[in-house]
Amino acid sequence: MGSDSALERTVEKIIHNTEEQILSNLKQALKSSQDALANSHVSLEQEYDRIISEGKKEAEKLEKQIIGNADLDSRNKQLVLIEESIEKVFDKAIKKIQDADRNSDYSKLISSMLEESIRTIGTPDIIIQTNSKDKSVVQSLLSKFSGATLSNDVIDCLGGIKVQSKDGTMKFDNTIDARLERLKPLIRKDIASKFGR
Amino acid sequence: MAAKGKIIWVSGPAVRADGMSDAKMYETVSVGNAKLIGEVIRLTGDTAFIQVYESTSGLKPGEPVIGTGNPLSVLLGPGIIGQIYDGIQRPLKDLAAKSGSFIGRGITTTPVDMTKKYKFKPLVKTGDEVKPGSVIGSVKETDLIDHSIMVPPDHPGGKITKIVSEGDYDLETELATTSESKIPIKMYHMWPVRKPRPYKSRYDPTVPLLTGQRVIDTFFPIAKGGTGSIPGAFGTGKTVTLHQIAKWADSQVVVYIGCGERGNEMTEVLVEFPHLKDPRTGKPLMDRTVLVANTSNMPVAAREASIYTGVTIAEYYRDMGKDVVLVADSTSRWAEALREMSGRLEEMPAEEGYPSYLASRLAEFYERAGRVRALGSPDRDGSVTLVGAVSPSGGDFTEPVTTHTMRFIKTFWALDAKLAYSRHYPSINWMNSYSGYLADIGKWWGDNVSKEWFELRSEAYGILQREDTLKEIVRLLGPEALPDEEKLILEVARMIKIGILQQNSFDDVDTYCSPQKQLKLLKLLVEFYRQGQKALKDGASLADIRAMPVIATLLKARMEIPDDQIAKLDQIETTIADEFKRIGVKVTN
Amino acid sequence: MSAQGGVQYSKIAEIKGPLVVVDGVDSAAFDELVEIQTTEGERRLGKVLEVGNGKAIVQVFEGTTGLSVSGTSAKFMGKVMEMPVSEEVLGRVFDGLGRPIDGLPDPIASKFLDINGEPMNPEQREYPRDFIQTGVSVIDGMLTLVRGQKLPIFSGSGMSHNILAAQIARQAAVVGTTDEFAVVFAAIGVQYSEAEYFKRSLEESGALKRSVLFLNLADDPAIERIITPRVALTVAEYLAYDLGMHVLVILTDMTNYAEALREISAAREEVPGRKGYPGYLYTDLSTIYERAGRLHGRKGSVTQMPILTMPSDDITHPIPDLTGYITEGQIVLGRDLFRQGVYPPVNILMSLSRIMKDGIGEGRTRADHQEVSNQNYDAYSRSQEVRALAGIVGKAGLTGVDLKYLEVGDSFEKDFLTQAVDENRTIEETLSLQWKVVSLLPKNELTKVKDKFIDQYYKER
Repeated sequence: MGSDSALERTVEKIIHNTEEQILSNLKQALKSSQDALANSHVSLEQEYDRIISEGKKEAEKLEKQIIGNADLDSRNKQLVLIEESIEKVFDKAIKKIQDADRNSDYSKLISSMLEESIRTIGTPDIIIQTNSKDKSVVQSLLSKFSGATLSNDVIDCLGGIKVQSKDGTMKFDNTIDARLERLKPLIRKDIASKFGR
Repeated sequence: MAAKGKIIWVSGPAVRADGMSDAKMYETVSVGNAKLIGEVIRLTGDTAFIQVYESTSGLKPGEPVIGTGNPLSVLLGPGIIGQIYDGIQRPLKDLAAKSGSFIGRGITTTPVDMTKKYKFKPLVKTGDEVKPGSVIGSVKETDLIDHSIMVPPDHPGGKITKIVSEGDYDLETELATTSESKIPIKMYHMWPVRKPRPYKSRYDPTVPLLTGQRVIDTFFPIAKGGTGSIPGAFGTGKTVTLHQIAKWADSQVVVYIGCGERGNEMTEVLVEFPHLKDPRTGKPLMDRTVLVANTSNMPVAAREASIYTGVTIAEYYRDMGKDVVLVADSTSRWAEALREMSGRLEEMPAEEGYPSYLASRLAEFYERAGRVRALGSPDRDGSVTLVGAVSPSGGDFTEPVTTHTMRFIKTFWALDAKLAYSRHYPSINWMNSYSGYLADIGKWWGDNVSKEWFELRSEAYGILQREDTLKEIVRLLGPEALPDEEKLILEVARMIKIGILQQNSFDDVDTYCSPQKQLKLLKLLVEFYRQGQKALKDGASLADIRAMPVIATLLKARMEIPDDQIAKLDQIETTIADEFKRIGVKVTN
Repeated sequence: MSAQGGVQYSKIAEIKGPLVVVDGVDSAAFDELVEIQTTEGERRLGKVLEVGNGKAIVQVFEGTTGLSVSGTSAKFMGKVMEMPVSEEVLGRVFDGLGRPIDGLPDPIASKFLDINGEPMNPEQREYPRDFIQTGVSVIDGMLTLVRGQKLPIFSGSGMSHNILAAQIARQAAVVGTTDEFAVVFAAIGVQYSEAEYFKRSLEESGALKRSVLFLNLADDPAIERIITPRVALTVAEYLAYDLGMHVLVILTDMTNYAEALREISAAREEVPGRKGYPGYLYTDLSTIYERAGRLHGRKGSVTQMPILTMPSDDITHPIPDLTGYITEGQIVLGRDLFRQGVYPPVNILMSLSRIMKDGIGEGRTRADHQEVSNQNYDAYSRSQEVRALAGIVGKAGLTGVDLKYLEVGDSFEKDFLTQAVDENRTIEETLSLQWKVVSLLPKNELTKVKDKFIDQYYKER
């Protein structure tokens, strides 16, 4: 039996070894498939998280964009409304000036405008232009300003005067229109503040 | 009699006024209704050409110009240290108090607080003979500064007829009178900025100004009373290097002029210096520093004046027997201010539009450096060291300001954009830089630090020079073409660059390096080279040497070993010897 | 402002280039605003460059095309040029002189400010220290931008500077605060499409409502470009110092600005400096760039990002050169990287942020920030040397560690530098990428980093 049992033992051993190998292979395969499953779970989760967070980011971006632009739109509409109101106030004011009486106060205003113009231009030798309404007021003041002449041309303005040196190289616009134009930004601010701006 | 004229022309900082026949050259004048400060820089007939130190926006022909009768002057007295001035000695703090965060115009202030009381200690008594420049007493200006009160150089002196006793006085108090003059001596006097302050005699600079920067102190030193220039393209670290000098130089007073440079840089000094401690005294660095700030966007004419304001203050402290360092960043912007005024004067331009007198102005400025014996008694020796940055356009060292400056300075620290790009800081190029003081101050190092200094420095520099030629070969053929002896040179040169030349100004340990530590590091590297040569001769391979663990320790020593633990460097020396021994044993086996 | 207007002078002595010389003027002021009127009644703005001896030299912003000696008059306005400002300038679009071009009314001014500003008192400056996260790795990691800094982009024609600037404008934020940046964008002589890209980019990110745009386009008058950055900065200063906002100002393209300045200088027959640019170019540029900053006791800040295209990609050209001397660093775009399709194509070796050191570190970004950034610089610089060497001796001639450096170079460009136009990285992400790059090297090569950081962050690859 001796050699037989030796053979048997060898065969057994081989079988055993093979069994073990198969078992371990099986185990390994199981483990790796489990790992793979676990891994894929993790990566799936990650992927899921990524999609969610990107979607969130995108949504936030969109939200910011929509809100931002809506804010801006409504603000801009407000600006336009305020501007319309300012224009209305302005128009009314202009109408008032146009219809104003050319009384003695007005004559004083023109007189001071003339003084200012002569000072600014630096010569008393000037030609004055004005609108048809103010012509008589200016005419009545001319005697106080020697060197000043009134032009026959009338200009289109609310009131006040335009002055130029006799050689024509210097001009000074002292019409009410020009003064309003210069003061407009300040007046606009005043009016706007009445609208709570 | 003061001139009273009228503006006839305005263009930027330049104004012409007529009716100015009573005006003197370089007289300061009040310009326009806004009372801007200006200076007469040319007189033709009764027309004066005026540079205005403030913005001329809104100035009109016809407005008045009134002379002051005085040239542009600075006030010299206690209270200067720790201040930040604009180009014409107006304290920026006072300007802020009067005009807010932005600099307004037409503001007058006093350069120092005239009402502050200082404890005055008289050093002469009635009947003593004093000369111009003699010290009559002293006050404590800051913890670091004993401020000598001197007879002004333009005062005749004479016998002291009256002097106050020790006590607290303000700046306007009449401290003393003399037999020769009716003018009493006060704690302060005025001095015109364009006129160098006189001294008795001048010495050759022989003592190094130690900056704690290895590449400067060890390789390209500057002497106390010497001149140096630091040119470099933008981004090469000019300002950081200048800040390092201002921080660590072993002088008693530092005058830092920000001339046409960045605002934030001056702010940085203001924020940083009060917190930094002088390594020698432990006191805040601000206690020895004066700042003159005329940033690039401040009026250009005041930029021209700022250099003179600064150097006059420096000379004043020199006259007390102190070592003063003046750092000017940047002289190029000063030269540009000259160019701009010259252009408005319609002068004939020389190179690149600079006026033909650029060179002579630069020479005059650098000539105000020096080590001198002050006027009067007692004997005092002081120095003014001038360091000027140059900002060559396009980094081109052949442009006029750089080339002219090189004629008048003796130490040249050439900053190199390539080194800066590879983050080798300070980016002082060791092949293009030079120092004319090496021979003179070698003796000082020999007497005070080590007899070996000169030899070690020469040997280390020799290695760097050899590397420079070898690099050419490597560039063409690759490093393998060289024999091991030459490869060793490349290796050691690399170690010198990392271990000595590079210095991290933002590292607490590395930012300042004492002369002893500098010498020791130098010695270690030269020693390494000598032993390496020997090992190669004895049959060791370069690979063995390269693999020595001590190399990493050696290269990090500058950062890891503070000045108070220098003994650790001796350990490294032992390790070097041991490791070479081990290589030797390996070879013989 | 007074109701008093100025005298109108109609004696024109000369018109040359952008300049008009007005004769017989006895009381104009230096820097005064001038209104030029043509025969057709068209009005243009200008300012006085020089006055005296009865003459005033006026620079006309909108150019002198169509002006004639006989029909032109000049009105001196008695004030310098001003910009009306109020909170409502936000979300608005203006032309290069600050006039609205979005169809909406003029802003109702709460103040009128001199567009030239005044120099900031250096003693009153607050040193910039707050880290701005741009979400762009190369900037946050290695060229950190700080509130109140002026950090330009040096680019070349056709490169992606505007895309980068727009990305920064969209993403810039200060970590740990909810403060948002207001963006002031000044287009100086750029093409319509570029300005439009910028505007759309702000619109899409919802940032338009906190932005102000000033547009001087390529076909708008050249001399107007002198004014555009100044009105933009005036508004920025108002938003920052009056309203306490943090403002990011983008000025593109400063090269066009400098060219306009050269045109005026040439017309005045001034002695030119380098390449025909006026000798005062440095000083003039500084009056723009130095308007960045922070102030003691005020909440807001002005941070500037000027963009300029370097003629022939030459960094020594006077415009980038003088800019670099004034600004606190520079971001340089590299043509090679751009050609390889790298975005953003930043050449870090030539780039620098001077204030970075004060804006980073523990409590601001992270303790290892400076060191890992230094190591990246060092490694990338070495990798460039090795690349050059490999060009001579071939890759086969390189030793072990040199080969590692080649890999570092590639990884730096691919993993760290490159990022998507809409990718907003946190500072943590940026720092871990920096560690990823240098982790390709053996530990003993990391000489710029303390051991404790190596232990904490180094992961061998």
